[in-house]
Amino acid sequence: MARDVPSAVSRGGHGPAYFALLFIFWLLTGVSIYPLMWLVISSFKTSAEMFGNAWAFPESWQWGNYLKAWNAGISRYIVSSVIVTVASVILVVVLSAAASFALVVLKFRGKAIIYTAIIGGLVLPPEVSLFPLFKTLNFLGIYNTYFALILPYVAFGIPFSTFLIRAYMVKIPGELAEAAVMDGAGPFWTFWHVYIPLCRPILASAALIQAMRSWNEFIFALTFVESESVKTITIGMMSFANALRSDWAVLMAGLVISVIPIMVTFLVLQRQFIGGLTQGAVK
Amino acid sequence: MKLTYQRLLPYLFLSPSLLLLAVFVYGPALENIVYSLFSWSSMNPDWRYVGFGNYRHLFSNHIFWASLVNNTLYAVISVAVQVFVALGIAAVLDARVFKRRLVYLFRTTFFLPSILPVTVVGLLWQLIYQPTLGLIDQLLFATGLDSLSRVWLGEEQTAMLAVIMVSQWQWTGYMVALFMVSIAAIPRDLYEALEMEGASRLQQFRYITIPGVREATLILTVITIFGAFKVFDIVWVMTAGGPNHASEVLGTHMYRSAFRDDVVGYASSVATVIFFITICVGMVQLKMQRDR
Amino acid sequence: MMTQRLTTLALAAALGLATGTGVADAKTTVSFLHKWPEPENMVYFNAAVKAFEEANPDIDIKMEAVADEPYKDKIRVLMASGQVPDIYFSWSGEFGKKFARGGRAYDITDHVYNSDWKNTFPEAALQPFKFEGRLYGIPINVDAKFMLYNTETFKKHGVEVPKTFDDLLAVCAKLKDAGVVPINFGNQFPWAASHYIGEMLAKLVPNDVRVGDYALTRADNELYTDPGYVEALKAFQQLNDEGCFNRGSNALTHPIARGSFLAGRGAMIYMQMVEFGRIGGSPIDKSGWNFFTLPTFADGRGDPGIITGAPDGFMVSAETKHIDEVIRFLKFLTTPEQAREYVNITGMTSSVKGAVTAENADERVLQGLKFLDAASGLALWLDTDMDARSTEVLLAGSQAILNGTETPEQVMEKVRKTALAVKKEREKN
Repeated sequence: MARDVPSAVSRGGHGPAYFALLFIFWLLTGVSIYPLMWLVISSFKTSAEMFGNAWAFPESWQWGNYLKAWNAGISRYIVSSVIVTVASVILVVVLSAAASFALVVLKFRGKAIIYTAIIGGLVLPPEVSLFPLFKTLNFLGIYNTYFALILPYVAFGIPFSTFLIRAYMVKIPGELAEAAVMDGAGPFWTFWHVYIPLCRPILASAALIQAMRSWNEFIFALTFVESESVKTITIGMMSFANALRSDWAVLMAGLVISVIPIMVTFLVLQRQFIGGLTQGAVK
Repeated sequence: MKLTYQRLLPYLFLSPSLLLLAVFVYGPALENIVYSLFSWSSMNPDWRYVGFGNYRHLFSNHIFWASLVNNTLYAVISVAVQVFVALGIAAVLDARVFKRRLVYLFRTTFFLPSILPVTVVGLLWQLIYQPTLGLIDQLLFATGLDSLSRVWLGEEQTAMLAVIMVSQWQWTGYMVALFMVSIAAIPRDLYEALEMEGASRLQQFRYITIPGVREATLILTVITIFGAFKVFDIVWVMTAGGPNHASEVLGTHMYRSAFRDDVVGYASSVATVIFFITICVGMVQLKMQRDR
Repeated sequence: MMTQRLTTLALAAALGLATGTGVADAKTTVSFLHKWPEPENMVYFNAAVKAFEEANPDIDIKMEAVADEPYKDKIRVLMASGQVPDIYFSWSGEFGKKFARGGRAYDITDHVYNSDWKNTFPEAALQPFKFEGRLYGIPINVDAKFMLYNTETFKKHGVEVPKTFDDLLAVCAKLKDAGVVPINFGNQFPWAASHYIGEMLAKLVPNDVRVGDYALTRADNELYTDPGYVEALKAFQQLNDEGCFNRGSNALTHPIARGSFLAGRGAMIYMQMVEFGRIGGSPIDKSGWNFFTLPTFADGRGDPGIITGAPDGFMVSAETKHIDEVIRFLKFLTTPEQAREYVNITGMTSSVKGAVTAENADERVLQGLKFLDAASGLALWLDTDMDARSTEVLLAGSQAILNGTETPEQVMEKVRKTALAVKKEREKN
């Protein structure tokens, strides 16, 4: 991404067009992050101040809002989200890597058909499967458990991560696998000790993409679990908001708390995050 | 023995994925079509075969058509902003108009909204759109533009647009990042060659950047349309399809039919329509990815 | 389907995921789902369940609670999946009848009427849980809707409690001129409007006509044709057009509107008795509040003495395997001691005779009950009394009326069409 800038190309002097562009970009920056800053600032106000001047800073910073929001039960939603996200990320990455390994390294018939069958899952929106999936989960006796979210998330995550990982594995020279086999290694050993380490960058990207999907997923989380103890943060925030609508400042503190985990992950892994998500274009 | 093992081995690696896909993705999608041929509800366990009855209701229901129009509007605006405006922004960021650190800052801040959970985005913007007390109304009052103030989420003329704008806010920066990757892949010397001939920035954009990202643009357009037709969450959180169905999209229409009106068979037929729309769009995407 | 299940189970096992707890013991487990997850309510229910389990060591009550609005989704999901809890919450009226009609509710007529249990409740509280003459639910509390007002604001601006609908409009006009929002109203989820409209309908449409329309038993050419329907929607429209409501009611939720009222902004709010418990400690609690019933219409052809309200209650799953344990628990919840405790802790009313007294209940609640006693009848919550699809049309229509995009006549025409379609389908089944 970073390229050396040949001095001949770099420009000196800034015309009015430059300043116009600069102004536009700062404006866009403001539009992008001011709502978030407003959220943070407002979360420290009293509810009375909120109804006063929306732009002002709080007169005294109400840390108590955060305590109230936390005590209103956000922590358990975060715990549920972490469990569901971590489990689905591990499963998606491992299963997709295994499938990609078979598709790239092993020889068997019907490879093209199987690959298409996996990738085809990309075009199926989860909404379509909602009602039958609901029955299936019931039938399996896992409705209203973490599995009711984890298994569908994994199933819907596999097509894309297989697409990513396979594309990466194809570029790994086949001689590596052959050499391993020459040394008497079995396919499982080759998979685990040769391919997995080599694919680490793309596995990380796939993991990040899946983490973001699982963390933010909405319609399954809305339908497949009902107990407060299994609700993930996306849906938990809806209950939270319903309970606290009249106390705006506390609601906002709760919203801030709920984005902290993902925000921290983003700021720490920023490069990988943007890089990873841009590997494949999904939302 | 060895032979069988060798032959089975690939399937050992593949079977967990295939099984999950069959049980949780393909199976239910097909089952849904069967569901849509029956009249049934959660309250009443008796299934009555109605053939295409649900579809006849669907096509004669003005709410369905209104939803379809809203999804289309969603798609058109999203393509305009998230594809074309985003491409413009990405081109400027890439063109080294700004210092590298500034580019980095812009890219990060634009990207930020896309990592937020949709519930947080929805609730935040609900507060921002709040009549009189919300940020937007306060901004209008402060600048003396009181007359422009609307009940953004409460009026039929503005509710859908207000929600669509939030989607643009959330996703445009993400698309900018995708375009930047695509533009970065264009060989640098192409620009330099054109520059030697005295071409302006705009001409460079026109003759190098645009052709260079054509493929990416096509794919991102398809993805954006795909997203616009299956949208549910942001609408459900912000307006639940209201007021008076003004912001109803296929997703909310489906959900409401099943869980409020107790006509799950009908809801399945809405799901089938979403299925067919996205499968058409998806075919195009797959074809393009394969051609690549 | 079976193979699907087996393969998935095998898969789950292969992945090392155990799916059930599989603890076997001799206890009978009774599942219990209600819609009061708020902390103050859970204090009571947790204590009650604990007390019952101690007294009945052979029974294990598995309790879940989901809030009001999501409960409507949740119970449908459970019904669809056949995972009906042994005991589940239900509003009275059409909402509960749907379960009875679909064969999902247990007929408890004999359990109640063939024992002393029947003496626990006033007959009026049982009536809304009956379907085709059989009883399907046990009432737990009685709720009603009243117009609350800020006494300080009323005094300051010299307005009196309105007696008629025209008085109410006059009060609104006066308050509005003084720069006060007359009525706080949040209709983003339009059940809020349905409570206004429901009571107006009860006062404007002859009772038997209204009941027949809701139950879809009137003739096709008469269904929802009474002029009272349009009159009621026009009255609702008038409240809006003459500035009784705050700006942007379609974009506000009821809790936000309530928050404004509790904070002392705005003069009135239409609120349920079960919400009275939230007022304690708020600014309005200090400045003073009182309430009245929605005023009557001079020329209404309905019942002027009617109040919007209904008993809430519990129903029993038709598929329950533990009917004896279920009945034991329900009887326990409706003993006078438990009912008094319930009133005491939750600040709600109780449908158990003699449970609400000056000792354990707030004076405002007692006053509300007095209004209820004096009422000539109850208009059940409109959105639980009409069939679900016609309600949806009417609710969406209320938002359109507030925005001025549809007329009352247009809305009623749509309601009528939908009701006819539902009636036709019901006859087919």
